[in-house]
Amino acid sequence: MSGDHIHPAPTSFLRKHVFSTDHKVIARQFMWLGLIWLLIGGGMAMIIRWQLANPGLPVPLLGHLLWPRNGGAVPPDSYNTLFTMHGTIMIFLGLTPLLIGAFGNFCIPLMIGARDMIFPTLNMLSFWTVVLGAGVAFASLFVPLGAAEGGWTAYPTLSSTIGTPGSGETMWAIAVFLIGASSIMGGINYITTVIRLRAPGMTYTRLPMTVWGLVLTAALNVLFLPVIGSAMILMVLDRVFGTTFYVPASMTQGGAGDPILYQHLFWLFGHPEVYILILPAWGIVVDLLSFFSRKPAFGYKVTLGALVTVTVLSAVVYGHHMFTTGMTAMLGESFMLLTMIISVPGEILFFNWLHTLWRGSLRLTTPMLFAMGVIFVFGLGGLTGIYLATISTDIFLHDTYFVVGHFHLTMAASSLFGAFAGTYFWFPKLFGRMMSEKLGKLHFWATIIPLTIVFCTMFISGWAGMPRRYYDHTDSAYLRPLQHLNVLTSVAAFVLGAAQLIFAFNFIKSRWWGAKAAMNPWQVGTLEWTLSSPPPHHNFDTIPVVLSGPHEFSHPGLKDRDWLPQTEAAPALPPGAAAPHAAPAGTRA
Amino acid sequence: MTTLAMTVAREPRRYQVNTTLGMAIFIGSWTMAFATLFVCFLFLRHREPVWPPVGVMLPSLPLAATGTGVLLLSSALLHAAVGRGRIGAAGLAPLWGAALALGALFAVLQTWLWLDVWRAGFHADAGNYYGLFYMLTWFHALHVLVGLVALGWVWAGILRGRVGVLRLSPALATSIFWHFVDAVWVVLFLGIFVL
Repeated sequence: MSGDHIHPAPTSFLRKHVFSTDHKVIARQFMWLGLIWLLIGGGMAMIIRWQLANPGLPVPLLGHLLWPRNGGAVPPDSYNTLFTMHGTIMIFLGLTPLLIGAFGNFCIPLMIGARDMIFPTLNMLSFWTVVLGAGVAFASLFVPLGAAEGGWTAYPTLSSTIGTPGSGETMWAIAVFLIGASSIMGGINYITTVIRLRAPGMTYTRLPMTVWGLVLTAALNVLFLPVIGSAMILMVLDRVFGTTFYVPASMTQGGAGDPILYQHLFWLFGHPEVYILILPAWGIVVDLLSFFSRKPAFGYKVTLGALVTVTVLSAVVYGHHMFTTGMTAMLGESFMLLTMIISVPGEILFFNWLHTLWRGSLRLTTPMLFAMGVIFVFGLGGLTGIYLATISTDIFLHDTYFVVGHFHLTMAASSLFGAFAGTYFWFPKLFGRMMSEKLGKLHFWATIIPLTIVFCTMFISGWAGMPRRYYDHTDSAYLRPLQHLNVLTSVAAFVLGAAQLIFAFNFIKSRWWGAKAAMNPWQVGTLEWTLSSPPPHHNFDTIPVVLSGPHEFSHPGLKDRDWLPQTEAAPALPPGAAAPHAAPAGTRA
Repeated sequence: MTTLAMTVAREPRRYQVNTTLGMAIFIGSWTMAFATLFVCFLFLRHREPVWPPVGVMLPSLPLAATGTGVLLLSSALLHAAVGRGRIGAAGLAPLWGAALALGALFAVLQTWLWLDVWRAGFHADAGNYYGLFYMLTWFHALHVLVGLVALGWVWAGILRGRVGVLRLSPALATSIFWHFVDAVWVVLFLGIFVL
């Protein structure tokens, strides 16, 4: 518990770079871990799309290496493994470490004016627990009978020993438990740090919204990851010790459990998980839109209220994933109503984002483009969510590609765009070098266009009745006419995948050979930009005193610049000037 | 970490608040894990027409009741120990040691409870009654073990003068965790043996 005084910087290699308790080092560790797993999980998506476009044809490059006995084509059980591990990896090992692990660790102490997390050792433990979980998940790919095949939702009976007899599914459950434990440790640290270590003057309404998004995510992590942890314990007991919690009587003699019980536990966690991934992205978007519109974020407190409302509501809507389980009409309609209510705070966020942009002096940097990309893709995903929240349409669309398109746009693409925006934005502070803007913009356009095609064509095929998780759709006569659409989706997916190599190249190149970053290259006022790039081991020589909010741009009282560091008080208004929040035209930079 | 060599510097008061708050958030979080398992217990139990099912040998109620009493006494002694620690009065070390000993006694009683039914052939795969019984008691016992290790570690610190009135936060955190483990057991005891 010592994030509030100066420690001597460690000198040994191991303490400095491997078992470090410095939040900035842990953030970079999380970032590398997340990016590497995004590459692996994304590669799996490419193979899945290959199989969907060319069922039974050998996968180019990798096919003969991975499945020599099948002539290089994906065998059905490996296809199940691919989509299961793709989902698991992208959510638990890609986006979670990147958005929450990397940005949570990096931004929270720097943005609130602290020298480190409040429990630095717990922080280190959190990273190495996720490494352990990742190791178990990776090892499960090589056990006899293969890795998990039950889908990322791992519904029994698919995930029971009858559905997947191999030990891969058990290892999957253990990996999820470990990764969840890591997130809980992180969550405890984030919440306690923000409550206890804010610099003097850093009131709750002066916190950058990035910090708020991360804190709300931490709250959801702390409350709901134990639920999935418990669900995994029951699954492991069922699989290893022969208990029958999820095993219905019809399946084994003496079984008296209920597979639907698992679905309740899974979605009680699973729905908040969507918001666990999206809230940090939303927080980043609120800040970046203000930073690059050179205007205060419109309606800070209302945005905050909307974020809190979404967080609370996310805990009470999970039943909309289970409309087809035969729940009573009253329960189903209640969940439908609660789900619909989420669109109210959702609309408030959109309104405030757009109003932040309105008449701003937009600087279309790469982080800004990705932040605006979040608005676009989340808009598409959010609007299609209405069809899935409505029982009558959901029962028709359930388990089709419509659902795949919807959740990829909301939780996958939006969070990924948020993560990209954050990476481009904080890269100078993380590594002390600038990422290439030219390559960054190329990456943005080469991502958003194919991404929109990939997931919007999925809406069409899903609406036409194409089910998820089928190994070969061309087996069914009614799905054959959709094959040209699948080919289009896959081609767009390959372009999308290739575009990420631009990012990888840019990241590696800029990390070691990029231009040296100045202290405040984006000209913004939050506390991390008052430090050198990268900041020293103990962050702040003296703990700063905070005198203004995070978004004080284009204040009429400012003379030579249009931003105000949070350590400075807002200057007096010149006589006759409008209040700063009205953002008069004359103050454009 | 504060190093205490010959003279022990008083830890800042805010350290105790930090530790207590972090522990409280963890307890709030982990309550969800136990609550989930307990709700599963209630859910599966209410699917059965008769509970306990016909033909199962019930685990020993006197043994479990004794264990409950032992654990509650352990918590009470620990509370008293922390009270002494706060004001620097004598008695912190013996009271803490007694709480630790009672915790260990609970672990012994639990093992006895399991061996009893295990020897009679009621294993985890003997239907939902025993599946749930072992699931809840095993998961709780894991926390008892963690608690015992923590209690022992802090006790060693107390005996060596590293934990005490000047540096109480390790004792505070451990005692909060131990009270949580005890409170969970009371709920499990009521659920499994009384209701």
